[in-house]
Amino acid sequence: MVELQKINRRNFIKTGGMVGAAFALNLNSFDTFANGRLQKLTILHTNDVHSRIEPFPMDGSRNQGLGGTARRSALIKKIRAEQENVLLLDAGDIFQGTPYFNKYGGELEIKLMSAMGYDATTLGNHDFDNGIEGFYKQLPHANFDVLIANYDLKNTALQNSTKPFKIFKKAGLKIGVFGIGIELKGLVDPKNYGETQYFDPILKANEVASALKNEYHCDLVICLSHLGYKYRDAKVSDQVLAANTKNIDLIIGGHTHSFLEVPEDVKNLDGQITTINQVGFAGINLGRIDYYFEPYKNKKIKIGTPYQINNKLDV
Amino acid sequence: MKYTLYSFIIAAIFLNSCTTTHYALTKSNREEYAINDKISVDSSVVKTYLPYKTAIDNEMNKVIGYTDVALVKRSTLPESVLGNFFADAILNQAKKIQPNIDFAMPSTNGGLRNDVAKGAIIVSNIFELMPFENETVVFNLKGNDVLELLKFIASSGGQPVAGLKMNIKNNLPENIFINGKEFDINKDYYVLTSDYIASGGDDAKGFANPIGKKVLGLKIRDALLKEVNDVQLEGKKINTKLDGRITKN
Repeated sequence: MVELQKINRRNFIKTGGMVGAAFALNLNSFDTFANGRLQKLTILHTNDVHSRIEPFPMDGSRNQGLGGTARRSALIKKIRAEQENVLLLDAGDIFQGTPYFNKYGGELEIKLMSAMGYDATTLGNHDFDNGIEGFYKQLPHANFDVLIANYDLKNTALQNSTKPFKIFKKAGLKIGVFGIGIELKGLVDPKNYGETQYFDPILKANEVASALKNEYHCDLVICLSHLGYKYRDAKVSDQVLAANTKNIDLIIGGHTHSFLEVPEDVKNLDGQITTINQVGFAGINLGRIDYYFEPYKNKKIKIGTPYQINNKLDV
Repeated sequence: MKYTLYSFIIAAIFLNSCTTTHYALTKSNREEYAINDKISVDSSVVKTYLPYKTAIDNEMNKVIGYTDVALVKRSTLPESVLGNFFADAILNQAKKIQPNIDFAMPSTNGGLRNDVAKGAIIVSNIFELMPFENETVVFNLKGNDVLELLKFIASSGGQPVAGLKMNIKNNLPENIFINGKEFDINKDYYVLTSDYIASGGDDAKGFANPIGKKVLGLKIRDALLKEVNDVQLEGKKINTKLDGRITKN
């Protein structure tokens, strides 16, 4: 992994220089590249918030005082005030965990996510806890997208409520986001997921990611995954997904409630970087990844060298 | 001729500038924020959830009992204080409805959703421990199906059980005692679990071909609430211990 994380700066400058030469012909261009400006995109993310509206109670338990939607919202507002291009994403399991869900069925969770300006989420297994109808019932409160590419919901109440992917446009950047869910059999009571059909996550992810990158020409492809970070056995996880797919830049994971010290960078099938991140559960943390892009006007070229990765923000 | 050449150049420039702008990813910076009391509060969010909170606080903040020990799931052993409390409580309450239950695995470890801190127990602690609406179900199982279940418990490193004692060796169960008596594969047993586990939840095994089954009409969470309440009515405090019901040697 180490060699992946080290940028081959010299190679990059060389490639960048070639692009620059091509541009020099473009006399009337008044584009961002001419201004020498990098485009910056800020990804904020949560997973497995599990109806944690308020912080954990101050009762001496392990997570006491942590989390809380009011603080998360304040932090998100602060970041939005500083950053132009923000995407706020979630990796599922919005529902279940506090009496707010038992009493109100997820209405408050969805309302608050809408108020915070979430752009998209995917379906976690606990989002089925009140059945498909139970999730459907709360969707009028959602002004964000529910993305899931490997469930077929056509025979369910959610048939018109989800999309496999969505392309977000931020300052000229195209960001393709899609969702991948965990196998529900053995995890969710069959009566709660009804006729939901599950498809192989790796096949679907490859299919969708390839379309996003190569047909829709997305500059960044993000997978919202509820597969889980890793398992002791061969069960498909984010690590397995990352290593067996192409065209995915970032997997925002969930399900296993994993607290990663830093995001993990995996070499994917193309030898490129697929980053995996997951930020625990219950809204104890908010993840952030800033991506910087160099614009150029030309046919799409492949930059062969890994990009620079820092586990801190630019000051 | 000159004119044509200029046109060509202008056209070329024009075409070039019309091609799409692409972006090469050059850098990513990562950060993780802890959401704690150092972060200010968005009062509009509080304003949104306050009416919901007020409407349930009376019910949820009611003290229903006390525990002398922290009921925690984390354990280096195949048993945990929280798992023992949970399984004992459900078995005890279910036996009030059906006394001949031999043993219970009312949840997997994955189904224990939150610890309960030492001290007063409020209703919301029990909702957070057991948020699901699962029902208690008693299965009458043949000895070899019980063994399947015990193998699942052993291979998964132990699960919350009551009325069962065993050792795990090489991921298999041994020295098995059910309801105080040595396990006999030729006998059948009454096993308490949840509808979730019985339908294959968390990949639990052994419930697919029962001799019979009975839904008790007692939700797992309600059983927990009753147990805490009962202990309180007896003037006692919960004091669950690790007792070696499942060991690993």
